[in-house]
Amino acid sequence: MAPILLWLILVLCLLISAVKYLMGIILKFSFASTKAQKDYAYQPTVSVLMPCYNEGKTVYETIESISKSNYPNDRFEVIAQDDCSVDDSYDWMLKAQHNFTNIRVSTGRNEVNSGKARSVCNALQHSTAEIIISIDSDCIFHPDAIRELTACFAEPRIGSVGGRVGVRNPNDSVITAIQTVIYYSAFQLYKIPENWTRSICCISGCLFAIRRELLLEIEPAIRSRNWFGIPVNQGEDRFLTHQTLLRGYGTYINNDALCWTTVPNTLPVLFKQQLRWRRSIVRDFFFTLRTLPQHVWKLHPNTVFTLVLTPLGAAVGFLVVVSMLSSDPLAWAGPVPLVTALGVGAVLTWVIKKYSAKEAIAHPLAFGAYIAWSLVSSLFLTPLALCTMDSADWGTRTKPQEVPIGNANR
Amino acid sequence: MATPTVNPPSETKDDSLPPEHKNAPVRQSLHYKLVITLYRVFAIAVLYLVLAGIMSYAFVMGFYAVSTSWAAPIILSAADEKSLDFREKLVTTQQTIEDLKVDTKKLDSGLGEMKKHRAALLALEPELQQAIVRERTHNRASGPELAALDRQKQADNVKTQKVLAQLKQVESNINKDLAAGLITQGDAATQLAALNQVGGAYTDSKIAEVLLTDSVLDKTTTGTTSLDVLVKQAELRSEVAQLDVAINVAEKQLQEESRQVDRLRQAIQTAKQNPYYLNASGEKTLYFAFVPYDNQASAVAGSSIYDCYLNMIACRRVGTLKQVFAGEETAIHPIFKTQIRGFLVQMSLDHAESAKSKTVFVGRKPVVF
Repeated sequence: MAPILLWLILVLCLLISAVKYLMGIILKFSFASTKAQKDYAYQPTVSVLMPCYNEGKTVYETIESISKSNYPNDRFEVIAQDDCSVDDSYDWMLKAQHNFTNIRVSTGRNEVNSGKARSVCNALQHSTAEIIISIDSDCIFHPDAIRELTACFAEPRIGSVGGRVGVRNPNDSVITAIQTVIYYSAFQLYKIPENWTRSICCISGCLFAIRRELLLEIEPAIRSRNWFGIPVNQGEDRFLTHQTLLRGYGTYINNDALCWTTVPNTLPVLFKQQLRWRRSIVRDFFFTLRTLPQHVWKLHPNTVFTLVLTPLGAAVGFLVVVSMLSSDPLAWAGPVPLVTALGVGAVLTWVIKKYSAKEAIAHPLAFGAYIAWSLVSSLFLTPLALCTMDSADWGTRTKPQEVPIGNANR
Repeated sequence: MATPTVNPPSETKDDSLPPEHKNAPVRQSLHYKLVITLYRVFAIAVLYLVLAGIMSYAFVMGFYAVSTSWAAPIILSAADEKSLDFREKLVTTQQTIEDLKVDTKKLDSGLGEMKKHRAALLALEPELQQAIVRERTHNRASGPELAALDRQKQADNVKTQKVLAQLKQVESNINKDLAAGLITQGDAATQLAALNQVGGAYTDSKIAEVLLTDSVLDKTTTGTTSLDVLVKQAELRSEVAQLDVAINVAEKQLQEESRQVDRLRQAIQTAKQNPYYLNASGEKTLYFAFVPYDNQASAVAGSSIYDCYLNMIACRRVGTLKQVFAGEETAIHPIFKTQIRGFLVQMSLDHAESAKSKTVFVGRKPVVF
């Protein structure tokens, strides 16, 4: 009975995912209401909050890209907050502050390492803008990114807006190629049905815009996030999105607001990043279950399904993979998964090449390796996340050797 | 631009802890500590278990990828489909042999009869030939004699006919004498009767002449009787020829059926070396195992069989390999679940429970212990 139930849940999760992807295609091309009504005349004041930890020179490039934004310079500012980096990130921040005088750049530094979420809150203290945009300090932003994000707030019910995250290094390795395909399909297809109902479940922290009053309302909850007394400083983007939805606001991703991130190009770094994300998903899942009636009452069924079934699918996926490996260890190595992955990869690679040449993947067959990654992901990430919920470790960029080399004085 | 001090000292000190945690009652703090401690113990145990599981799994996979001594025990029940099928075929084959034997016997007996009949017919041939020769010899001797007698008879009859012509004059004179009253009617009747007797004798003589001519014809030319004899002779030879054909066919059929019986007997003999036959026919429980071709070198009759815990460690000797069967079998790999080719072996087990193990090892223990 139990295995049948597991399979049913897994099939349901996969079915919902497949339906969401298909709906994404249909909605993208058929329903105008999928897209928010943008008003470019609406130009609120904007604070770009940039928490930073061990990013080195990248932080300079990030601020540089923002300084080139097509948004009135007097209407936005950058507040960079260093979270006690052990490298020269802070120096690069100061250099950017010195060099990019066309915009207002403020820099600050936490006295103790506090994590990204609290760094954002600390930076928020120095902002008076109407719209707050939280960004990752390793991203490069399109000049229209701020303009595109703020234009969506013309819809009064929208509380948070996210942008599309593209991959800067699609051809570094097979791992980055896989992530490119996944990022692209997630933003361009998977999240579209959620856009339709203005209920994106997770806006990426790379480019996250929120109304000031809403963030101030949520800030105490961010600061008090803890797991049995242990502060939680991961998954602030998922938390913020979730809180936005629970407060009755809509969430939306504007795929025209672009930013580019450097994705992990080695398996250990990717694994740590994905483990951190998985912990956030699990934490969010428990929160959803704890307050399920509130969710059912307030949120769109599409949102509730996504919030419940995504982590449930991951947990069930683990059990299914374990049972599959013990009953038929070589099934995953069969031709069907490989051909499916290669087929999907080939189509998406072609689409990416056609519509986002910057992310074009040199080797279309690289996506075939997704099977191996999905196996590793299903098998290890969920149990490891469940068993390390007390970890406050960010996972990546914590060791000096992982820090990109940069020197502000050069 | 000056760098603003974002974190006031009082705030940054507590930045890593949520505000309500600072004010949380001691009781709640203890509760949290207890939960976290229990969670960590549980998580560490689970992670080590997972790690041990993964390592064991990887080791088992690696081990079975390189091991060349494992075999997978198979329990064949008496009601096993293959065994039953085999038994059914065997019974059918035996029945066919019996039918063929009966058929062969019949053929053999029929062949004997035909040969006897042929011999009898062949024995008639010389007798018939002798009779024909004898008859011809006799005809050659009596034919001319009869012909001479026939000619003489014909001459006699001609003479008699002339005499008979003269007798008509005598008859006329008698009638005249009677009419003249020279003789009495009684004398006349007596004289006329004597004349009639002479005419009758002539007729008899003429008949004898015709019969004699027939006899001469019979003796001197080929008559219907001779043809009848020749027909009989031809029939005799035809019957012998037909018998020859029938005997030939019967002999060939007999040979073929005998060969078929031999082939079927040989097939049964081979089948008796099949595990399914042994399983179906034996009353004792027999133990078999599937050996993949990769492990063929280890499968030698007389080798020791080892059964292990966790499919590879803490092994013990549980019996010997009794015999190796030649026929190819396919089976599902007990670990990798792929279809593999190999053959069956019969095991002689001291511990019947080992027949239920997922794998056993032939020849030696798979690892040191």
